[in-house]
Amino acid sequence: MKNIILGVSSVIMIALIIATVIYYKDSNEITNPQLGQLNNLQDNQDSQNEAEQPQSEQLQPVINDTITYTLQKDKLNITYDKGNDWIEVPVEKDQLFDGEYNGNKQKLIEDSYILTENRAAFIYSDGVNWDEKRILLIYSVDQGKTWEKSLITKPFPAMRFRKVDFLNDNFGYIIISGGRTMSQESSHVFLTRDGGESWEQTDNSGVTRLISGGGFIDETTGFLSFGTINPDEPDLYVTQDAGDTWSKATINIPEKYHQILVSAETPVKERDHLIVLVNQGPNGDFKGGQVKGRFISMDNGKTWEFQKEVQPNEAE
Amino acid sequence: MKQNRGKWILIIGWILFLFAIGFFCLQMGYIVVHAKFQVEYIDNRLFYIINIFCIICLTLAILLLLRLTKKFKLIGASILVVFIFVNIVMLVASNQEIKNITSVSPDLKHVLSIKENTEIGEAVYYRSYYGFLTRPKERLPYETDGKFKVDWLADDIAAVTYKAADNSIQQYIGTYGDRGSGRSYYYVGAEIHGIWQGKTFEVVSDTEGISVTENGNTELFEWGNIHQFGTLAVILKKNNEAIWTIALNENFEVHSAASEQTVGNISLYKAAMEKNQPITLHYKDSN
Repeated sequence: MKNIILGVSSVIMIALIIATVIYYKDSNEITNPQLGQLNNLQDNQDSQNEAEQPQSEQLQPVINDTITYTLQKDKLNITYDKGNDWIEVPVEKDQLFDGEYNGNKQKLIEDSYILTENRAAFIYSDGVNWDEKRILLIYSVDQGKTWEKSLITKPFPAMRFRKVDFLNDNFGYIIISGGRTMSQESSHVFLTRDGGESWEQTDNSGVTRLISGGGFIDETTGFLSFGTINPDEPDLYVTQDAGDTWSKATINIPEKYHQILVSAETPVKERDHLIVLVNQGPNGDFKGGQVKGRFISMDNGKTWEFQKEVQPNEAE
Repeated sequence: MKQNRGKWILIIGWILFLFAIGFFCLQMGYIVVHAKFQVEYIDNRLFYIINIFCIICLTLAILLLLRLTKKFKLIGASILVVFIFVNIVMLVASNQEIKNITSVSPDLKHVLSIKENTEIGEAVYYRSYYGFLTRPKERLPYETDGKFKVDWLADDIAAVTYKAADNSIQQYIGTYGDRGSGRSYYYVGAEIHGIWQGKTFEVVSDTEGISVTENGNTELFEWGNIHQFGTLAVILKKNNEAIWTIALNENFEVHSAASEQTVGNISLYKAAMEKNQPITLHYKDSN
C-alpha cells in the first residue's frame, strides 16, 4: 500500500510540475474573443460541428499556393496546405486595412504582411480615436498555433505606407508612414532584434515627401525611397548605421534618362555590390512605361552608377 | 480510545488523498479543455491556487497514512515548501503580465471576469461558465491603463469603470439577465420613457435623448451618445467619455404593450474612479 500511495503521489507531483510549466507559458496571452468564438463550446456538440464544417469547405485561397490566405467572411484565415486546413488569425479584417487605404479589401496590402513557412506576421492598427490609434504586429512562428502581438508605436495618425520584413529569425524591420497632408507625411522605421517581440524606432530621415518604398539589406544598411506623385528624379536615402543617420544617396542618371527614370525601388545585394532598379513612376511612358534602369553601387549604397536598361521580365 | 483515534486519522488521510487526486484530475482536465475549446479559469491565478491545495492535501495525506522516517519527512517538507514557493512566484508574475479583474455578484450566481494584457493595454471581457470557467466574449474598445473599478448595480448587472490610456473614463457593463420574457430584445431607453425622480436627481427619457438633472443642472445626452449593453443598461457619453450609467433594477418590469403602467425602479450610476453608490430613482410621470 505504501508503494502505491508514494507512486501515485510521485505521478501527481511530476504531472503537476509539467502542467504548471505548460500553463505558465500559455497564460501570458489573452485569447482573442474571435478565436474563442470560432471553436465555440456550445451546449451541444452538433452546432459546433455545423459552424466549423462549412467554413473549411467554402474558403477559397486568394492565390493558388501551398501557403496562402483568404479574407472571406470578413476574417483573415491562413493555410499551410493549399486550403485543406484553415487557421483563423485573431485580428479583425478592418484593422488590417485601417488608415489611409482605398484599395480592394479582398487581398492584403502588399508588403504589409509576411506569410512563410517559418513566420506569419501582419501589421494592423487599432484604437477608436485618431489620438489613440496604435500600430501593432500580430505574428506566429509556429504556423498559427500561437499568436503574439507586439506594439510598434502609439499614438499614430492614419497609416498610409506599411511594410514589414525579416532578414533572419531575429532581425526585422517595419516601415510605416502617416499623417499625410496633401503630399507631405512623416515616415518611420522600426527595427527588431528579438524576432518581433520588441521594436525600436530609428532616427527619422527628416524627409516629408510621400514614401514609395524601402528596406534593409543587412542589419545596418537600409534604404528609403520617396516620391509617389509625379516625381522628377529618384529620391533615395541610405543608412549604414541601422538608422542612426540617414543621408541622400547620389544616383547618377545619364542625361538620356533625366525625368524618365524617377523612382527608386528597394536595393538588393548582389555578390560584392548592390543593385537598384529605378522605374518610371506611375506616369512613365518611355518605351511603353515598363522599362527600368539598373544601377550599381560599390560603396554600400551611397552612390549609384547606371549599368543598363532592363525589361520588366528581366528586372523580376 | 487510541484505536478510535487511529481509525479517524486513517479516514481523514484517505479523504485528503482523494481530494488531492480530485484536484489533480481537475487540473489535467483543465489543460485538455483549455487546449481544445479556449476555455480558461475565471481567474488565471486559480490554477496555481488549486496546485497549492492539491499538494498540501497530498502531503498531509502521506503524513497521516504512512509512517515515514525523519529523513523522508524532511525531503517531503522541502519539496512542499519549494513547490508552494514556486507556485506563488508564478502566480504573482503571471498576474503582472495578465491582470485579472474578477468580481462575484451579490447573489453569488454570476462572476464578472476581465483579463488585461498589461503590456499592450488590451482588456478582454470574459463570459463565465459553471462559475469557474470562462471564454473570451468581447474586447474593451479603449486601450486601458490598468485601473478598474467594479460595482454591481443589480444581481445581474456589473458596471466596470476604467481609465483609458488617454485618461478618459470609460465604462463597460456586464449583463447576466433580462427584465422581459427573455425571448426578445428591447431598448432600455424606450422602456424607461418618462420622468424618473430621486432625492437630488431627475432623469427624463424622451424623443431627444436622456437628460440628467443634478442639483438643478440639466445635461442632455442625445440618442447617438447612448450605448446599450445587453437589455439591462445604457451608458450616457459625452465627448467620447462615459458620464452616467442607467440600469434597470431587479423590480423593473418590461411590458410588450406601451400602454401598460411602468413598474419598478432604475439606478443612476456616475462614471468615476472614486468610490460611489448607484442612486435609485422611481417613476414619476410620463412626459
